[in-house]
Amino acid sequence: MAPGASSRELVCIACPIGCRMTVAMDAAGAITVAGNRCARGDAYGREEILSPKRVLTAVVQTDSAQFPCVPVRTDRSIRREKMGQLLGELYRRRVSLPVREGQVLIEDFDGARVVFTRTLPPDEVPAVG
Amino acid sequence: MINRSVDALVIGGGSAGLAAALRLREGGASVAVVEREPFLGGILLQCIHSGFGLHEFGEDLTGPEYAERFIRPALAAGIEIYLDATVTEIGEIPAGGEPARAVIALSRRLGVIRFAARAVVLAMGCRERNRGNVAIAGTRPSGVFTAGLAQRLVNIEGYVPGSSAVIIGSGDIGLIMARRLTLVGCEVRAVVEIQTWPSGNARNIAQCLNDYSIPLHLGHVVTRIEGRDRVEAVRVAPLSPGGEAMSEREFRIPCDTVLLSVGLIPENELSRGARVPINEGTGGPWVDADYMTGARGIFACGNVLHVHDLVDFVTEEARLCAERAARFLGGGQAEVTLPVAAGANVRSIVPNACAPGRRTVFTLRSLVVKNDVRLVVKVGEQEVRARRLPHVQPSEMVRFVLDAGEIPAQVGAPVVEVSLR
Repeated sequence: MAPGASSRELVCIACPIGCRMTVAMDAAGAITVAGNRCARGDAYGREEILSPKRVLTAVVQTDSAQFPCVPVRTDRSIRREKMGQLLGELYRRRVSLPVREGQVLIEDFDGARVVFTRTLPPDEVPAVG
Repeated sequence: MINRSVDALVIGGGSAGLAAALRLREGGASVAVVEREPFLGGILLQCIHSGFGLHEFGEDLTGPEYAERFIRPALAAGIEIYLDATVTEIGEIPAGGEPARAVIALSRRLGVIRFAARAVVLAMGCRERNRGNVAIAGTRPSGVFTAGLAQRLVNIEGYVPGSSAVIIGSGDIGLIMARRLTLVGCEVRAVVEIQTWPSGNARNIAQCLNDYSIPLHLGHVVTRIEGRDRVEAVRVAPLSPGGEAMSEREFRIPCDTVLLSVGLIPENELSRGARVPINEGTGGPWVDADYMTGARGIFACGNVLHVHDLVDFVTEEARLCAERAARFLGGGQAEVTLPVAAGANVRSIVPNACAPGRRTVFTLRSLVVKNDVRLVVKVGEQEVRARRLPHVQPSEMVRFVLDAGEIPAQVGAPVVEVSLR
């Protein structure tokens, strides 16, 4: 490894396998990822030492007594340092039911959309007869 | 009282029950699902985090999204669905030909329902071990929750249970809840794990604890919970190599909430009532090569059979179980099977028998933490197959597949033994 270089041990969070990886950056800024089993691990390792990102999930309050909150997610990873700001925005909101899974709540936050992940109230089950 | 007659009755409308019901229905059977909650989806609905569906769909889904992928087809498939209904008893109806099962359910809307079902699929999931199971000393204040209950309060009821918490046990639900509580403004002061390695997977240690600088005390024990009306603190001590709490190094962590993430137990009260034999290694029923329990016509899959790490594998198992149940309903001929036993370093293995003539998906739990392991399949004294595993530990289920013919059918010895070396 060249002088001035650095390396970090990481656990990949791209999937539940959790590969133990070593991510190294040389003095010229070139990054190498070792220990990953797939391309997603490589991408995660590079991103993690440059600008760590996460998918954010949360619940938002509703106007319903029966279903007081509805879960949401970002449809892609956002920068970790922006998570607090998005949570603040979500906690100030109160949405009216019905909502459907996949429906958009926020069109653009740090390049991601915030979408509902559950249909509420749930779709009716067919009558038994 | 309402009487219903179906080919297959599925008990539980969560991930296992929905996948089994859909596969049975695809095979042409008439199917009913009984679910005690007023909605389908089971525990997935409170698991609002992502990480589900990578095997099944090649996508990173949240729990509710994963559930919706089975709820929508189930609603459209012509399956009878009973919500807000609890099964209280699985009995037997003596009949002329193949005996059917009588299953009694109590429905909030319909009253008592009596099902006659030719096959029953147990898919009730599991329950959490609680304070009584792990014997924590101290007072009995409010503020002590199982992690899954806290998850339900935060994610379904929209209620934050406290302002500062200590989590006992490092199971995945506890780790997920450490992050979740942090994000809703409840400060998580520590995760305390009695073993010297974490119970949850490494990825959850990274993204749930390390991301938020939450301390993980491995090889430590909570020696007491303090507080009269509400939790005020926990006392924590390191364990000596002999497993004794080292009281001279005990320390106190003030908090108003304690979460327990100390393991899951298959939910088999109904099964025991139906005299289904239980495997003490898994806490779930013994099942044969068809996922049929020791009670004829009663099948089991998902967390009621054995606790899984990943829902994707619950789905896979539920479908395999449903395919065998469908074959049973169709009067399929008996096939040659061999019993399967847990050998060295294996705590439990599912299923407990296999048919050499077809593919079998095995899942097992290790008794040991070990790197560079050989998984060995022996028939009698003869080693017939081996697999290399980079790492095993008790908290990570090992899944492996034997294809048709990998076990020679005409080996004399009767038992297939799987061990880790």
